[in-house]
This record gives sequence, structure tokens and C-alpha cells, in this order.
Amino acid sequence: MDASELQPVEQFLAAHSPFDSLPAEVISHCAKNITVGYYSKASGFVEFNKENPKLYIVRSGAFEVRDPEGVLVDRVAEGECFGFSTLLSGEKVVNKVAILEDGLVYHLPQAIFVQLRAEQRSFDQFFTRAFAKRLRNEGRFKAKDLTTTSRITAIMCANPIIVQAHASVIDAAKIMREHRVSSVLVIDNHKLKGILTDRDLRNRVIAEGLDTTTLVTQAMTVNPITTHANALVFETMLTMSEHNIHHLPVVDGCQVIGMITSTDILRAQRSQPLFLIGEIGRQANIDSLIQVSKQIPLLLQNLISADARAEEIGRVLTSVTDALTRRLIELNQQILGQAPMAFCWLAFGSQGRQDQVACSDQDNGLLLAHEPDEFAAAYFDTLTKAVCKGLDQCGYVYCPGDIMAQNPKWRLPLNQWKALFKRWVVTPEPKALMHASIFFDMRPVFGPMSLFNELQDDVLASTKDNDIFLAGMAGNSLTESPPLGFFRKFVLERDGSEVKGMDLKHKGSALINDIARVYALSAGIKEVNTAKRIRALMDANIINRKDALNLADAHEFIAHMRLANQGYQVTHNLPVNNFLKPHHLSSLLRHQLRDAFKVVHDAQAGIKLKFLRSF
Amino acid sequence: MARLWWITLLLWRTRLTKVAEPLQQYVNAITPALSCSFSDAPLMAIDLEMTGLDPTSDQVISIGLVPIINGEIPLAKAQHLMIAINGSVGQSATVHGIVDNQLQSALTLAEAMQWFLLQTKGHILVAHHAPLDIQFIQQQLIRCFGHAIPLVFIDTLAIEKKRRLQQQDFLQQGSLRLGASRARYHLPVYSAHNALVDALSCAELLLAQVAAMGDVNKLTVNTLIDVRG
Repeated sequence: MDASELQPVEQFLAAHSPFDSLPAEVISHCAKNITVGYYSKASGFVEFNKENPKLYIVRSGAFEVRDPEGVLVDRVAEGECFGFSTLLSGEKVVNKVAILEDGLVYHLPQAIFVQLRAEQRSFDQFFTRAFAKRLRNEGRFKAKDLTTTSRITAIMCANPIIVQAHASVIDAAKIMREHRVSSVLVIDNHKLKGILTDRDLRNRVIAEGLDTTTLVTQAMTVNPITTHANALVFETMLTMSEHNIHHLPVVDGCQVIGMITSTDILRAQRSQPLFLIGEIGRQANIDSLIQVSKQIPLLLQNLISADARAEEIGRVLTSVTDALTRRLIELNQQILGQAPMAFCWLAFGSQGRQDQVACSDQDNGLLLAHEPDEFAAAYFDTLTKAVCKGLDQCGYVYCPGDIMAQNPKWRLPLNQWKALFKRWVVTPEPKALMHASIFFDMRPVFGPMSLFNELQDDVLASTKDNDIFLAGMAGNSLTESPPLGFFRKFVLERDGSEVKGMDLKHKGSALINDIARVYALSAGIKEVNTAKRIRALMDANIINRKDALNLADAHEFIAHMRLANQGYQVTHNLPVNNFLKPHHLSSLLRHQLRDAFKVVHDAQAGIKLKFLRSF
Repeated sequence: MARLWWITLLLWRTRLTKVAEPLQQYVNAITPALSCSFSDAPLMAIDLEMTGLDPTSDQVISIGLVPIINGEIPLAKAQHLMIAINGSVGQSATVHGIVDNQLQSALTLAEAMQWFLLQTKGHILVAHHAPLDIQFIQQQLIRCFGHAIPLVFIDTLAIEKKRRLQQQDFLQQGSLRLGASRARYHLPVYSAHNALVDALSCAELLLAQVAAMGDVNKLTVNTLIDVRG
């Protein structure tokens, strides 16, 4: 038989992971060895042949895998597989597979499955769920220099100013004046004909003594040099300097999609983090600080488009916030005078953990060296109110929960902070603990380190090996669970419900933060950044190396997806949030994300075993 | 569907007539299959591509065979055969996508029929709108061996018609076609059409129909079969 005649089967395999990565002749070898079965909902469950395990590839219909306790393990639709756990482990089938919808299933015999795993690395990796290795490969890209690796589309002006070819130079000049631009694109029948700049108007119209009714086509530069949509900023800079020009139309095919000027490139460089932090330190008043802070969203956008690691993006953005906070404190102290006592500005939550992203709100507090008198109280009241207001104006909106230094509740002397933490630790009431968890991710942004250390050492001494408190924290960290994965166009939650978007923050990153926090507090680790906490826990042998690396990779991968998604939302003018729509994902990313959630789920199970066993 | 006694009678009658040895063996081999349960019965889905619809004048261009064994379709045993014809493929090429030069490596009709008898021996044939394919096969047997023999088959179109009429009185034009029938069982749409893919489509449809009838384990094959003498 001519194998290529099983085209429908081969085409199907070639369109789905992990077969999509196999060479054509291997796919046709698979197709030839498949048997086709039909499963009817009426028969209830898939009957497994114990002597003859197979890989089940769903061609149509829907299936549900449940473990012996009846807990939903997976839901499988077109293009997905079941039965591989038995093939991989060699153990007998324990899960039950219910038939949700009638469907056709391809059976791949064990011998072929084993052969493919041996011969095809990608196939083997897919099924052995070598997520650690795969996610690391995915996540371990280095942050690159922004100017060299950013795409031109990220910084160009997307709606270039145009004039039609039949317009006169005076019309063009009016349009340029109205839009305050130094160049316009000349378009004829949707095609780029030329570019007209200030310099052309001067040299080719005025200096030549031409009439203002001269057509733009006579004054413009014909067939201008262009750059394409995928060009790197670096390449564009080269083009500009080679031809000594400052305006470049950006084209995609013959369609003009934007315009890039040397000013745009300069501005992109200005939003490099080092430049921005330097600028912040140089600003002499609050208004100019607010102006500078307007570049923070652009910085984020640039970092995303340069494919920086999510962890680095978080650290960079947080350093900017820290710099802004410090400068606001300094500027206000110039007005208010020296502080009456030593104090620490504390950052909590995401700023504390150094994983801030777009639209973060403030979470801060003030640590005073000792009990303030009336004057000191008034001083810090004024100072904190001014700083919090400044942060709000710079884009870090007031904390909705009022956890801010300007709230007297969170502006306390050292002994009262100690007492507060003691209360949370000694009587860990679940609800109170949930609100308190962000306080355990604290970091000093301004002020003497010794003062902060006194507080942190005291807190960690009381949390370390404190079973009751840790059980309470662990219990809190388990109230949310990561989604199971994807099912068709939906996100599948562990309780079997389906939602249309995935909350990458509350069902992903936040869960890993919680896990790292519980472990860190149990071991008295001073780090608050989640990646650093996991690293420290690994070095101290509290989490084994493999699990720690998996968790760190899952953390990076989910955070990266969250940032990439927000970058996508920004460039498509969508509201920025933490919800990811599964249909925006490729098949491979879905599988990787699913693996990452699996890691989070396993880590939660670990927490449960370690800290909740006595309950 | 025909009564088993009628089928048995037709098969017996063939034994009394003098037919060629391969045909006689073929007829004898089918008997054990008739009393099987559905999942044990050896079934062979067939599809023919022809130059036209008249069995007496039109010719068979290709044959697709897809077996159903233990209620599953082993694709390893699916086969596709081209047959050399007299004259050109003509207009049907636009339907089947077979062009004359593909037929150069094809078997002669006599070779093809011997192959067909060997491959389907002992199997109950399965086809969508089976009487047409069966008539064509029988006509080719007459051409090669001078005799036709009774062929036992399952017609997925007849099954579909019966099932549809149990549910409603009126059947819409075209609603029993292979593609339309498959769609009712959520079977995938195959864009390619040749004898092999259509035989596979028909085999899958039969599995779906049988699954929809209820308990497959209690189903015997004699409730589905028909015969053409």
C-alpha cells in the first residue's frame, strides 16, 4: 500500500503536538500502524486492554481522565492524548477515562510509542514531561541591550501623517504644522510615492523661488529609503547614519505601516533603565519627577519587546520605583528639614519582592527608630503623605487596602512593628494572616539597614520552625489552586469548571510567591524576592535541587507569559490585566504552561505534606 | 436486511452450480462469518472508483479495502489497488483525481479480481450504498470467471436510512450521503477522496452506527447483513 494515501490521518497527526515535530516519513510510519476505534458515550468508559497498552490520540469527541479517587486529572479533546502514563510507567491502568462525547480515537501501539521515544527527542521530551529542561531552555534567555534587539515596530509612530500625491506644498506644510511633524509621507493609491521633509520645503521650494501651489510630487524625495516592520532598532540606526537621513517610512510589503525618526530612537534609548534611574536622581522638583515617570510604561514595553527575562524586568521596574521613592523622600526632606529620628521606608508585596509589573499599586509603610513625640509624629505624617501622593502622581496609585506609610496604622516605631508581627505569628488567625502575608515580603527602600535588620531578625526568629504559624500560612497558600490546563477554547479549573481566561497572577505567580514565602519563613531566610528565596532554599537543602529548579522555571515561565500577554494587550490597545485567553497560545506554549501549572500543583502538595501534616 | 436462511439458501445454490474453483472457495469461506457477534466478525469495508454508474458498460478504476477487526480499524491492513482499463479515465478523472498515467502501474482486471477474492475471502463486505459496488464486483467476476456469485454485505446507507426513519418520517434529499451521515456522528470531514479514504470513511461510519445502536457486545452480525445473488 502506498502510505501517502492515508492522507487524512497523516495530515491530522502533522497538525498536532508532539507529532507536528516529526519528519513526514515518521508520521506516515505512525499512520500505517494506527488502529482506529470509535467510542460511544453510551458505553460510559473506555475499556483498556491490560495486555496491550496503547497511546490514545483523540481524533474527535471528548474524554475525561479521573484517578481512582474520582478526582479529575485531565480532560482531553481533539488532537490530545491519553493512556501515556501507563506506557511511560509500565504500571497497570488505574485511571478511568469517561467518554463525554462520542468520538474517533487513533490507537498507537506500544512498540511504535517506544520506538518514537527512543528515536525522536522531541517526542520523548513531550511525553516524559521534561518540563524542567524545556522550560529552562525557554526561559534562560539573557536580557539583551535594548537598542540592538528591540523591534522597530515597538517604537515607531504607527499612524504616520500622510498627504495625497495631488496635494500642493502649502497643503502639506499646513498638515505638518497642524500635527507638529517635520516630515510627511506622500501616498498615491495607497502606495508610498515619496517623503517630504522640512529640509525639502526649504531647499526645493523656498530657495528655488517656487510657488506654494507647486505639487508635493515635485518637491518630495521620490522612492525614499524605507525600513521593514521586522527590522531591529540597531539596523535602522545604521540605515539612517549611512544615508544621513532622519526619517524612515516603515513598510510591510507595499503597505506603509509607520514612520520612525531619529528622535524616536533617541527616546527609546532614554527609557533604558540606567538612563531613567539617573534622570530620576537628577530631578530637582516633584513636577519634573512626574514627567520622567511617564517613561516607565515605555521602559516596560521596551523590556518586553527585547525579550528580557521576566525576573529581570521585575527587578528593573522595581529599581525604578525604589529610585522614585528615594528621590521623593529626599525632595520632601529638603522642604521639611532633617528627620527628627532614624526611619526606614518599607516596601511590601510586589515592590518588596522586586517583581513589579505594569499598573502596580503602592504597598508601603514606615519604620521609626523609636516612639515619636508630637513634633516627630507631625513631621512623618507630612512626609509620608507627600511621598505617597507623589508616587500616586507618578503612576503608582494609592493602595486600595490603605497599606501605605501615610496611614498611621502602618507608620510605627520598631517595638510596635515587632508587636504587630508577634501577634500574627503567635495567634495565626487565617483571615488576618491572609491580609498579613504581604508584610512578610518586606524590604527597606530608604533608611539605615541596621534598623530594618533589627525588625526582620526578630520576625524570622519567631517564624522559624513555628509549626502552628507555618501551618496557618501554608493553609492560606492552598486556598487557590492552579488551573488543570486547557480544554478546547477554555481554561479548565481543577473542579472541572471552565473559564474563558486564565488569571496568571492569582492562579499562577501569586501561588509560587506564597509557596516560597512559607518555606523561607520556616527556615528564617532573609531574602524576599521569590527567585532568590527558591535559590536560598535550594542551597540550604530545604527544597531538593530538581524541585527548586522546576519551581523557579515555572515561576519565570508564568511571569514571562504574564508580561508577554500584557505587552500584547498594550500594543493592541486592550485593557491591561492578568487574564490570558488560551486561544492566543500556540500548541507548544499551551503544553508548557500546563507543565508549569503541574509544577505549582506538585509544590502545593509538598507544602501540604510538610506543614499541614499535623492537622 | 435479509433473513439468514435466505442467504444460506443462495450460498447453497451456488455450490450446486458449476462455478470456478476460486469462486467456490470464496463462497464456502463466508459461512462461519454469518453467525459471529459483530465484534468478532471479519469485516472488509470496500469502495470502488468507476468510470461511470452502469455496471454493464462502465469499468472499475480502483479498489480500496479497509478491514474492521474486533471492532477496530487496523490501518496497516488498508489497501489501495489501481486497475488498468480500456480507453481513458475520461470525465471521472475530475471526480477521483486519478489520471491515466497513474494507471500505468495498475493490474489487469483479471489480476485485480484474483487479488480482491484473496483479500476479502471470509469477510463480510461493507460499503456505503453497497448494492452499486456489489453489482460492479459481480459484473467484473462475470467478465473474468464467467460467473457471478452471491456476495454478503453490510450497507451503511441502508442502516442509516433505517435509523433515520425510526426517528422521523421524512428524509431530506442528500441526508444519507456518506459525508452527511458521518457528520451526524461527529466524524471528521476528510477533504481527500479516493477509494481508500472512502472505504476508511465507510468503516468509521459503521463503527459509529453500531456504537449508537446500544450494547455492541450483544449485537450479532446477522442483524446487519444483506445478500445479492
